[in-house]
Amino acid sequence: MENTIHVERAILKLTQDELAKKIGVSRQTINSIEANRYVPSTVLALKLAEVFGKSVNEFFSLSDDD
Amino acid sequence: MNARKYIEKEQKAMQKLMNFRLPRKFMYYGLTIAALSIIMMFVRAFLLEGDTLMLKEVLKKTLLVGMLIMSLSEDKEEDELTIKLRMQSYAWAFVIGVIYALIMPYVEYGVSNAVNSGGEAYKDLGDFQVLLFMLMIQLMFYHTLKRYR
Repeated sequence: MENTIHVERAILKLTQDELAKKIGVSRQTINSIEANRYVPSTVLALKLAEVFGKSVNEFFSLSDDD
Repeated sequence: MNARKYIEKEQKAMQKLMNFRLPRKFMYYGLTIAALSIIMMFVRAFLLEGDTLMLKEVLKKTLLVGMLIMSLSEDKEEDELTIKLRMQSYAWAFVIGVIYALIMPYVEYGVSNAVNSGGEAYKDLGDFQVLLFMLMIQLMFYHTLKRYR
């Protein structure tokens, strides 16, 4: 799974910490998601979608090995 | 109550049980209990005289209780990633604990007999040794995984 969360975050001028606080997780969790080390749950993906004002598949996409 | 509602109620109760965590402050309580138990173990071994076998057994239990409290207490920033890491650490602790319980008696027996001929007789590990090892592995894995998340 790949994502463009860091791009969406940059558009909204949010730091990892600010985004983390908005969706109720730790900064390290946002860092792990951005680095593709952790695939978030549907609930967390929908919370991110709400913050970015976009649908989930606009910033999450399947990679070749999925 | 029909069968479906009963199953849903059971599922909710099970989920609640699975998500059970002690509040954060219990981490410090657990740490204090475990540390005091270890200190008292040294005091008993080197300073106390007489029959202290009962105290030794009590201290073993309090050490395990302290570590269990540490293992069950919430993290400062509890979220779905820390929950996943904790589950992974429990899984690894279980697997490594079983391997340890299977192999360690032979290692102890082999080393004992290699060092001095006619060493110790073969004996299985005690519950304290296995549980202590599993709790140590769980806490170590969890905090290591958390550091590298």
